[in-house]
Amino acid sequence: MLDVKDVVTAYGKIEALKGVSLSVEPGSITCLLGPNGAGKTTLMYTIAGILRPRRGSVRFGGDELVGQSADRVVNRGIALVPENRLVFPQMSVTENLAAGAYLRHDHGEIASDLEKLFARFPALKERRSQPAGTLSGGEQQMLAVARALMSRPKLLMMDEPSMGLAPLVVEEIFRIVGELNRDGITIFMVEQNAHMALKVAHKFFLMEQGKVTFAGAPGEVAQDEVIRRAYLGSAKAT
Amino acid sequence: MIVDIVQTLLNGLAAGAAYALLGVGFTMMFGVMRRLNLSYGATLMFGGYLGALLASRAGGALPDAALVLLAAAVTVAGATLAGLYVERLCFAPLRGRSGVAAMVSSFAVWMQIEEFSTWLLPLHTNPYPAPFNVASWQLGALTLRPEHLLTLLVAVLVAILLHRLLRASRFGLAVRTLSDSPAAAQAVGIDAGRTTLLAFLAASTVGGIGAWLVLVADQQVTPMFGMWSMAKGLIAMMLGGLGSIPGAVAGGLLLGVLEASGQALFGPQIRELIAWGALFLVLVLRPGGLFGRAAFDLDIAAHQRL
Amino acid sequence: MDFYYSLAQIIGFHTLLGLSAYIVLQTGQVTLAQAGFFAIGAYVAGMLTVLAGWHLVPAMIVAGLAAAIMACLVGFPALRVRGLMLVIATLAFGEAVRLFFFNFDYQIAKGDVKIGPLGGEGFRQIRWFPENGWTSFEIMLFVWAVVALVAGALWWIDRSRFGAVLRAVGEDELAAQSVGINLTAVKVTAMTIGGFIAGLGGSIYAHYTTHIEHANFNVLLATFAIAYPILGGLRSVFGTIVAVIFVQGFLVEGLRFMGDWRNLLFGALIVAAMNLRPHGLIDAATARRLARLFGREQRRA
Repeated sequence: MLDVKDVVTAYGKIEALKGVSLSVEPGSITCLLGPNGAGKTTLMYTIAGILRPRRGSVRFGGDELVGQSADRVVNRGIALVPENRLVFPQMSVTENLAAGAYLRHDHGEIASDLEKLFARFPALKERRSQPAGTLSGGEQQMLAVARALMSRPKLLMMDEPSMGLAPLVVEEIFRIVGELNRDGITIFMVEQNAHMALKVAHKFFLMEQGKVTFAGAPGEVAQDEVIRRAYLGSAKAT
Repeated sequence: MIVDIVQTLLNGLAAGAAYALLGVGFTMMFGVMRRLNLSYGATLMFGGYLGALLASRAGGALPDAALVLLAAAVTVAGATLAGLYVERLCFAPLRGRSGVAAMVSSFAVWMQIEEFSTWLLPLHTNPYPAPFNVASWQLGALTLRPEHLLTLLVAVLVAILLHRLLRASRFGLAVRTLSDSPAAAQAVGIDAGRTTLLAFLAASTVGGIGAWLVLVADQQVTPMFGMWSMAKGLIAMMLGGLGSIPGAVAGGLLLGVLEASGQALFGPQIRELIAWGALFLVLVLRPGGLFGRAAFDLDIAAHQRL
Repeated sequence: MDFYYSLAQIIGFHTLLGLSAYIVLQTGQVTLAQAGFFAIGAYVAGMLTVLAGWHLVPAMIVAGLAAAIMACLVGFPALRVRGLMLVIATLAFGEAVRLFFFNFDYQIAKGDVKIGPLGGEGFRQIRWFPENGWTSFEIMLFVWAVVALVAGALWWIDRSRFGAVLRAVGEDELAAQSVGINLTAVKVTAMTIGGFIAGLGGSIYAHYTTHIEHANFNVLLATFAIAYPILGGLRSVFGTIVAVIFVQGFLVEGLRFMGDWRNLLFGALIVAAMNLRPHGLIDAATARRLARLFGREQRRA
């Protein structure tokens, strides 16, 4: 569904991505692991069209995305839940969701999607007219996910959705990720919480210093000595 | 005594309504770009000069009413056109890059536009067509001046239209997302370049209308108008809190009342000094502006870009 | 020849103005107050030589100190804000100073004429140089001696521990604070030194032009003050001097033959310079190249 080939993205002279290749299967949950500064967020931004790669190709359902602007990428069916949530703090919850549907023109459908999302995220419904900046961290994360869903994506990219959230909230988020996936949305997530990711994801990639250094199924991840030590603590794999 | 106070308040609010529009234009530009456009006043002056130029070339040939309306149209259009020039030249090429460089560029363009305007009309004072041959009206001991009423009326109208535009249109949604969080706006697929350009033009138009109201009341335009209108817009914007449109309206009205009261108490020389003094105090004592903190957070973001 | 001496004097006091902003910019504070300090220096020095009959040098020192004290006083509240807010707060201060002098009358009778600042009329007859028989050449030497002293002092500061502290604050306030740097002290000191230098520049300016008025010290001048070091790349005092020569010598004087079109071209050139070289005329790479050219190792990364 998503094929990233040999992508190089640089900030000035510093190459953050040094030829990254990976692919996301349709209908899967794919998880990208890696230390801070490995280039995971850069990869997400490059796919989303916010950063322009120096080389390489990003194909989505057969179309080339490199060179397309961010709005075109959203239009193709890719939505990004950015790192640190990034809601619109001064706008209300409803307005945030409306912004998520910015590129859509089917007003009737938008209204019914809004109701569906409120059914899925009842906490957001309660706070629908509150400024998003006043929501708790977990609620803001839910809002960021809901906002991304408003564009009716085929592929949902999530950049560290569990970062800085309480364990209960993290479980809730992974429950929702599973649900969304069962509803047919392909998910590509960056995640440091490998324990949680192992429960839901079908495929893993590891990125280090701008390169993909490992690819495998959950079983292989648990076997891999390096990953186990870095992301699963010293506990032995079962 | 009471009458004097009411009269001063009325004069202040009328002047303040025009300041409010100047401030709203300025603050909209800041909101979408997080950059200070130093050539804002010069673009408004350019519009004013076009209006005066029209009067000097075609003044005799046109009926008064037509001249007034045409001058208004030319002034607002001129300000918008100059805004287009500034945005394309100073801000679009440097988007997301050095804020100081964009600011210095806009400063240079300010001088350019000012020079060009004075080349069009080299005199120091240029008559500006105004619709008022009527004297002021007396309401008891109060004096009602027609230009004050016009200013209040137009300002309220523009404020309502702008509110509708920003709250109830797709373009308004884009502008607000961009002002609120540029990074999140990109993530939901808002075209920052196009939205910024259009918001910049809308802001220039609002500023142009504010400038027209001032010029109509003054019945003249001078080379100082660029500097002057930028100062008023800036103070109105900052008193209310950077980036907040309701704040700029409140700030403009407050500035008008402050100036009018200062003038009534200490004489006309002190007017400007009071405005700048008030701005300095508000900024160092309440950096978020008098009406809220939201802008202060914006400033932190702005600082990181600077 | 007098034209060039005069131009050199203009470049001299503009360099002082630019250097006064340079040291403040080192701490990451973008300030538009420098024109205000320049004005204070100009008026105080002028009043001392004209009204009190002082020699120029002590008058300059006192004028510099007066501007420095004012800068110190402004520095404390101004610390509460940063970034754009500071730009605007300092602009408000600068304009308030200008408008103060617009309203400032202090005239005394000397013989049958009244002399001294007179509000919007300005302050005429600051004629210490001609009254003491200085030639244009001597004035130029004097101006550049002052510039050399100030530039030398700043060059020395740049290489000292204090200079490193200034830059640390400019790079990252939080980091600087975490290694025990007192932000308030550093910023206020930089502001005070900047005020002193601007005061010196203003006192020279007043005696160069012999007639000052509030309008000379407007926001254009304040913007010039920060434009010089920014164009110069903020890396060394020499960048600032090069920028002043570029702007005052080349753009302002060199293009005078273009008449009305000068400012149009002036604007275009500055825009082009900022677009092509967003990090200043002398940015890091150029500085390295220059250092290599002169066979010197770059000391600072």
